Amino acid sequence: MSGIASKLQHMRERTRGVGSNDRAVKHLNQDYESLRAGCLQGGRLFEDDCFEALPSSLGFNELGPSSHKVRGITWRRPQDICSNPKFIVENATRTDICQGALGDCWLLAAIASLTLNKQVLSRVVPHDQSFDENYAGIFHFEFWQFGEWVDVVVDDRLPTKDGELLFVHSEEGSEFWSALLEKAYAKLNGCYEALSGGSTTEGFEDFTGGIAESHDLNKADPRLFKIMKKALERGSLLGCSIDITNSGDSEAVTYRKLVKGHAYSVTGADQVEYRGDVVQLVRIRNPWGKVEWNGAWSDSSTEWRYVSGDDRERLTNRSEDGEFWMSFFDFLRQYSRLEICNLTPDALTGDEYKKWAESEFEDTWRRGVSAGGCRNYPNSFWMNPQFIIKLDEVDDDPDDGEEGCTVIVGLMQKNKRRKRKLGEDMETVGFAIYELPEEYSGQRQVHLKKNFFLNNCSAARSETFINLREVSSHFCLPPGEYLIIPSTFEPNKNGDFYVRVFSEKQADFQEIDDPVDCHVEQIDIDEDDISDRFKRLFGQLAGHDVEISAFELQRILNKVVAKRDDIKTNGFSLATCRNMVNLLDKDGSGKLGLVEFKILWTKIEKFLDLYKERDTDQSGGMSSSEMRMTVEAAGFTLNNSLHQIIVARYSELDLTIDFDNFVCCLIRLESLFNTFKALDKDGSGEIQLNFLEWLNLSMV
Amino acid sequence: KFIPSKPPPPRRPLNFAEGHESDEEKQFRNVFRQLAGEDMEVSPKELMDILNKIISKHGGLKTDGFSIESCRSMVAVMDSDSTGKLGFHEFKYLWNNIKRWQGIYLSHDNDCSGVIGSHELPQAFKAAGFPLNDQLFKLIIRRYSDEHGDMDFDNFVGCLVRLDAMCRAFKTLDKDNSGSIDLNIKEWLQLTMYS
Repeated sequence: MSGIASKLQHMRERTRGVGSNDRAVKHLNQDYESLRAGCLQGGRLFEDDCFEALPSSLGFNELGPSSHKVRGITWRRPQDICSNPKFIVENATRTDICQGALGDCWLLAAIASLTLNKQVLSRVVPHDQSFDENYAGIFHFEFWQFGEWVDVVVDDRLPTKDGELLFVHSEEGSEFWSALLEKAYAKLNGCYEALSGGSTTEGFEDFTGGIAESHDLNKADPRLFKIMKKALERGSLLGCSIDITNSGDSEAVTYRKLVKGHAYSVTGADQVEYRGDVVQLVRIRNPWGKVEWNGAWSDSSTEWRYVSGDDRERLTNRSEDGEFWMSFFDFLRQYSRLEICNLTPDALTGDEYKKWAESEFEDTWRRGVSAGGCRNYPNSFWMNPQFIIKLDEVDDDPDDGEEGCTVIVGLMQKNKRRKRKLGEDMETVGFAIYELPEEYSGQRQVHLKKNFFLNNCSAARSETFINLREVSSHFCLPPGEYLIIPSTFEPNKNGDFYVRVFSEKQADFQEIDDPVDCHVEQIDIDEDDISDRFKRLFGQLAGHDVEISAFELQRILNKVVAKRDDIKTNGFSLATCRNMVNLLDKDGSGKLGLVEFKILWTKIEKFLDLYKERDTDQSGGMSSSEMRMTVEAAGFTLNNSLHQIIVARYSELDLTIDFDNFVCCLIRLESLFNTFKALDKDGSGEIQLNFLEWLNLSMV
Repeated sequence: KFIPSKPPPPRRPLNFAEGHESDEEKQFRNVFRQLAGEDMEVSPKELMDILNKIISKHGGLKTDGFSIESCRSMVAVMDSDSTGKLGFHEFKYLWNNIKRWQGIYLSHDNDCSGVIGSHELPQAFKAAGFPLNDQLFKLIIRRYSDEHGDMDFDNFVGCLVRLDAMCRAFKTLDKDNSGSIDLNIKEWLQLTMYS
């Protein structure tokens, strides 16, 4: 309840723009401005009590408090490391980043690429910080985390060994933005060690909010050149590298002057006419600023003599600056991997870039109700959250006959790196895409059930199910409506995820779900309709006051269910009986009269039938997936969040639901729908409650 | 006028908690680990076992033990990610409150009957930070007291856990302190079904 309230409030704030880049969420509620002002006023340097200069901030295993690797480490402020520390000198460059004793080269490669895009860099590293003006030992950075921007504050005590920075440092040793950035990112993830072993795309995404895709160049997409060209037009960050087979190969230079195991940037793609043929070219940059490819189409190669003067003028650049051209054909042969980070529309200003349209959703998988697993599990696959995307407009592709709509779908699992200290690692996740048949066209208030998936084939799917933070794929689909189903590979794995779609043209992306509604049949009974036998029974049960209290009801019901060995129950709790009395007690006496009791009895008989009917395996219990259908048969349609809550609230650990809990759930649902309808007098679909009204309703 | 207890702290990195723990807290974490098992999460059944084990050691508290239903409800109002279980921080928060309320329970049982009678209730709730009006007391007695209007320890705790959570939920949703909250049917059901 209070947890749910926080979740609802979070969603409300998201729709009001909290978490956008200019209204970043304050990590751990720490506010940079006020903390710094406090320190300046008190004449002290900031000491962060949320990420302390203690071994526990370093790590838990290899860098854990008892590891020999952390022996002799001291935390020092930059002034104690060098005489004239600078936050950022002129412009950030790739030499500001040298790897330390931590296996986070993926992060550093991402930071290096970031320095090539000033606009993106300045969002992550606010530049108005320094060791001179208003210095108080405090710095802050902004990261993108699962759909929202987070502002992270750190103090500038950095781990050192023998007087030198242990982790990231600049080449000159006097520039500190990169070391502080790493510290802030470590704080966000729990500790430094949580950063070791990741992929560059993860860093790309946390610095830009973009969506990354990875291409294996040995099995390149036939449309790859076009994809690269479009990515560059959209200001995306592109990185390529040559895989190494052993660690000795790292940074080995080939005879063609390419560096293995090293992160390059792709900065251009073009085509020229060469001896009557069209040749596709890509421009690549070595972040060292030197060591360039010396093969075909390199700076001084002969190929350039056979292109038009205009092309030569436009493309060639002979200086030794690390940048060079090569043919797309050679690119595919020489390099192993290409990573593209597509940026969100808000990351780019100015008209020179084309912008993606972006939409996103957060949702959850929960055991027994919405963690359905992949298509191999047809009995539960349909229970996964479902999303729909409508593509109406085809891409602008003047030079291409094939019509289609380009979309990138990304599925990301939330917060797993942070939980790594608890031994929790990534789940194996992926998604499937189905074309929505005509009959469902335009429908949004429907959760597709098992039969749909038995009778329809998927139109596309993620390349694989994989235990990475994000799986993303690039598709070109004919116009139409598509269903996207994200899932874990195996069913019953709890997880929180974030799914988003980047599309070339505006596309309508929505979660689809059943509407929340109640159509329980009203039971109309008159005293005359009640048989004499039932009246006699009631008389015996009710005693002298001729009414049945919750206490009496509990005794009666438990007597009845105790006789039945075909249903699973621990007996009815007093709370359930009170709920039943509250639902039917029309005169407010807190007790049930004859007619009210008869109505209740009729309901319970109906519940018993439903429960027996759905207990398909005759186990005496009902599984949580059977529950989902039974709630519907009882007259309620509910959305995914509510189904999850029902399972969390009423199921046993083995994901079965007892008869008493089943009844309790249905009674409570009906009461709550009734209460809402009574309060929503004007039928606006929204109710307003003050504090006392809220307590009166919610304490019942 | 109402003083609900402070909400559980934001989920901080585990190393923060470890760095700041007193010896007592460290011990508590170890006990928690034993109780909660590998997953470091407490199910309603585990909560019931823990609570009943502890109250059985205390004289002076009259109780027929925490029922599974009341533990389900306590988990529901505390659970922050709808997994149906409590994490360490949520449990610790609950635990500290229960300890506090136990003191209030004992000191307001003026006639030493072991239960809080309906006349003792207003003072006890006021001491816990919840001065209620008559209407709410009536409702609470009907919901949590026995046929004679007496509230035993498990019901006392169950009621306060809920009341506390309801107050916090309201405060969370009434971020601008306007004094009222707006809910649609989905929000209404999510809040009230999970309680």
